[in-house]
Amino acid sequence: MLPLIGLLLGIAVGLFLEPSLPVVLQPYLPIAIVAAMDALFGAFRAYLEGIFSDRVFVISFISNVLIAALIVWVGDQIGVGSQLSTAVVVVLGIRIFTNAAAIRRQLFHA
Amino acid sequence: MTARRPDASMDLLRQISEQPLDPDYRVVAARGEAGRPARRRWALGLAAVLAGALFAIAAVQNTQRAPLVATERVELIARIKTAEAGLQAQRAQVAALDADITRLRTAAASGDGAAEARLAAIDRLGVTVGTVAVTGPGAVVIVDDAPGADSDTHDRVLDLDLQILVNGLWEAGAEAVAVNGHRISTLTAIRGAGEAITVDYTSLTRPYRVEAIGDSRTLPATFTQTAAGAWWNDLARNRGMTFSLTGVDSLTLGADPGMVLRYAR
Repeated sequence: MLPLIGLLLGIAVGLFLEPSLPVVLQPYLPIAIVAAMDALFGAFRAYLEGIFSDRVFVISFISNVLIAALIVWVGDQIGVGSQLSTAVVVVLGIRIFTNAAAIRRQLFHA
Repeated sequence: MTARRPDASMDLLRQISEQPLDPDYRVVAARGEAGRPARRRWALGLAAVLAGALFAIAAVQNTQRAPLVATERVELIARIKTAEAGLQAQRAQVAALDADITRLRTAAASGDGAAEARLAAIDRLGVTVGTVAVTGPGAVVIVDDAPGADSDTHDRVLDLDLQILVNGLWEAGAEAVAVNGHRISTLTAIRGAGEAITVDYTSLTRPYRVEAIGDSRTLPATFTQTAAGAWWNDLARNRGMTFSLTGVDSLTLGADPGMVLRYAR
């Protein structure tokens, strides 16, 4: 319950306050979103399987976002930014889809 | 040391698809951490708020950026239209100055008999040369390639055929000739460029419509008696090209816009 309320509160804050990211960080926002989605789907699946731990969720969420942005930033410095970003999106996308499939199985078969 | 699996090289793909869930969840659950200290609950709530804010910021940013591309495009289109309008204005200016010159020339020549006669001769010659628009009875010739002649040059209308046609019309007594709306003047070239025929350096599209101003009753008959008439008769009968010559009561041919003053003293 608490995470859901927190999520809605965060969306409301983002929509109404419209905080603007510093320009330096703006190109990494999409990859951060994908990493956040991966952490969220993993957390939801763990919750459905009854092994949810908020400590793991917080750590995995923050580290996912930071590491994904860091990888793409390093890629930008050496000139393969778009390819690395593609690789990160592919890997995270596969994980998101697998977790989503497991969630679907849990919700509609269990 | 454990033996390597046969598909050890696919470790990354296997790990991605078989371990999408962070294995830490299971480890922590196996350890059985009991209780949730309040500090951890605050961290959980904060992480959720951050996630929501991230999504909202990305959504807001995207919706704000989409109209930017559209405004740029609209701006470019507006600039193109302004340039085109400027071009039209300059062309209108040229036409107005031309009219002024003609007026001044007529005014300067009034009272001077020799100059007036010369101006009248210029107007008369302008009909044949192509500097003035003409209206009157005449004939219309429509020619086209033989149906089904794509790559076989023998059955397509060539620039040579059009040249012969126009020359034949002049020979038959035409006073002014135009091809697809382009007035034939003394400086007009009928040439072939690649696959198309160009008149006055503009490409024409089939079918070709040649208009000639003259006596609408005798022009067609006189034309068929010329060498050009024989040429086109052969093309129409033996090669199947389209050729139709009809007299019309009223035709209007525009002036040749390329006839500009090149020498004055």
